[in-house]
Amino acid sequence: MSVLGANFRRDMEIRRYPVLVYALVPLAALVLQAWLPRVLGPYAWFDLPLVVTVYFALGRRSPIQGTIMGSAMGLFEDALSHHAVGINGIGKTVVGFIAASVGVRIDVENHTIRIMLNFLLSLLSSAIYVFIYRILLGLDLEWRWFTELFRAVGNSLFALVLFPLLDRLQIRD
Amino acid sequence: MDSFFIRYRNLLVLLAILVAQIVGLAVQVRRPADSRGSLDPKDSSGVRLIRLWAESLVSPAEQGIHYSKLGLEGMWLNYLNLRHVREQNQDLQKTIGRLQLEQAALLEDARQGQRLQALLDFQQKYIYATLPAQAIGSSGSDQSRVFYLDKGSSDGLKPDMAVITADGIVGKVRDVFPRTAQVLVINDQTSGAGVILETTRIRGILRGDAAGHLEIVGILADQRIQPGEKVLTAGGDLIFPRGLPVGVVEKVVRDPDRDSFIDIIVKPAAHIDRLDEVLVVTSTEPRFSPQEQQDLATSENLKGAEAEAIKEQAKASQIMAERLPGLIDPNLPPDQQPLLDTSNPNPVAHPPAALHPDRFSPGVPAQAAPDTQGSSKPAEPATSPREKQDVAPVGKNGAIAPGTGPKPASKPAHPPKPVRNP
Repeated sequence: MSVLGANFRRDMEIRRYPVLVYALVPLAALVLQAWLPRVLGPYAWFDLPLVVTVYFALGRRSPIQGTIMGSAMGLFEDALSHHAVGINGIGKTVVGFIAASVGVRIDVENHTIRIMLNFLLSLLSSAIYVFIYRILLGLDLEWRWFTELFRAVGNSLFALVLFPLLDRLQIRD
Repeated sequence: MDSFFIRYRNLLVLLAILVAQIVGLAVQVRRPADSRGSLDPKDSSGVRLIRLWAESLVSPAEQGIHYSKLGLEGMWLNYLNLRHVREQNQDLQKTIGRLQLEQAALLEDARQGQRLQALLDFQQKYIYATLPAQAIGSSGSDQSRVFYLDKGSSDGLKPDMAVITADGIVGKVRDVFPRTAQVLVINDQTSGAGVILETTRIRGILRGDAAGHLEIVGILADQRIQPGEKVLTAGGDLIFPRGLPVGVVEKVVRDPDRDSFIDIIVKPAAHIDRLDEVLVVTSTEPRFSPQEQQDLATSENLKGAEAEAIKEQAKASQIMAERLPGLIDPNLPPDQQPLLDTSNPNPVAHPPAALHPDRFSPGVPAQAAPDTQGSSKPAEPATSPREKQDVAPVGKNGAIAPGTGPKPASKPAHPPKPVRNP
């Protein structure tokens, strides 16, 4: 009966990827996030590192791994800016943890659920960013709610395309 | 106890990472005393190390993408341009010839300006060396207005160098890595530049607001400032050379914090949202070629010799003046002036007395000459109305009535025409 327990079910649903995917996909997300805004200008309403964080956290279903991955992605994003390192890091750490924790309890094969989760976690990340920037650091921040909404929609659109592609890269027994 | 850590290990890891990042944020935040919603832009060594790692990880891929894009664009454009290349080449040859002539004239003007600048001891800085660079990437965040260049410390870039385009200023180099450099754009909140309005000559500090607009803050309300006025760099910030275009005044708004002050919203001259190629001002010190330096030295020597000659001439004139007798000595009373000295072997020659004095003779008061030829009636002076005005009324004793005579004209008085009687 132990094979039907929760741990076994979770182990069966944990996605595994080649090491290169773990290395290159986050790197590609960081590079594109830094390069695409130059092409798209002020209409770069997306956050590719966040999308990748949510994807791996949902797939791996490990809150610790999701936390570490979100933290690393956020810190690298901060390091590429001229702001204090940690503003994005905190937000994406929380997002990675929540995505992995939710992933344990939901069916991650369902695209709609994953994209909805992506949309909600994007809004959560924006809210944490604004909170840290305005409340924790006390800095001026031009914040428009519809911009954050557009960013969440953009992340969902990216997830709509990116998640099926990344699903093809997983190791299947 | 073990079961506690195992049971809550996820939360404990989350808390540990969050606390570490919050502490890291608190360490980084060193707010300057005069800042308004901004942080100290200087990074500690640890933060700089993290930035270096991230930049080393991302920049090679960014450069690869950027140059691949340029290569593809170049291939396509080369194909398109081949169609009319011969006509364009002929046009360009003509343009080169014309530009060579203009360049020669401009070089001459520049040398002259340099000489004048040296003479007047101006401390104004000019751009003497720039380095072209490509913008290869951004921060990826719309709240951090920085971008990366494909040139770094190995190419001679240093922090606080000005970054410009042909249209206007762009920003300054904030951080330099071996092969890349981070540029802080002028519309970032932590950016700043000293500017001056071209017409009204009002100075101010240019900075970006949270929305990425350029504004000049802390200006006393002045109705002369109108939209459309050009904004130039003032040169006082030791980053941007003086006189570079910044933008034009877009509108003037009241300062929300201070009543008598205004904020000037500036439309940037450079397209700071879409930058591909920029110029980094690597030197503001004069750097001339040996030939140009030799020309300048020759010019300075010539000017020095000319000044010496003028000085010698003035000295000789002074010596001559001391040797020659003066007509009026301010130190002597009027009756002992050299002009009246009879012992002078070379007295001042006075004009001889006229044998037949008339009204033109010195010492004879001007008066209308009576016509002695013809009738005994006094002749009417056949003068023009203008001459009538110039002729003063004469009193009984022949004196000119005070205040009624001709005014001392600045031009020489013309003698009245001789009277012609029919």
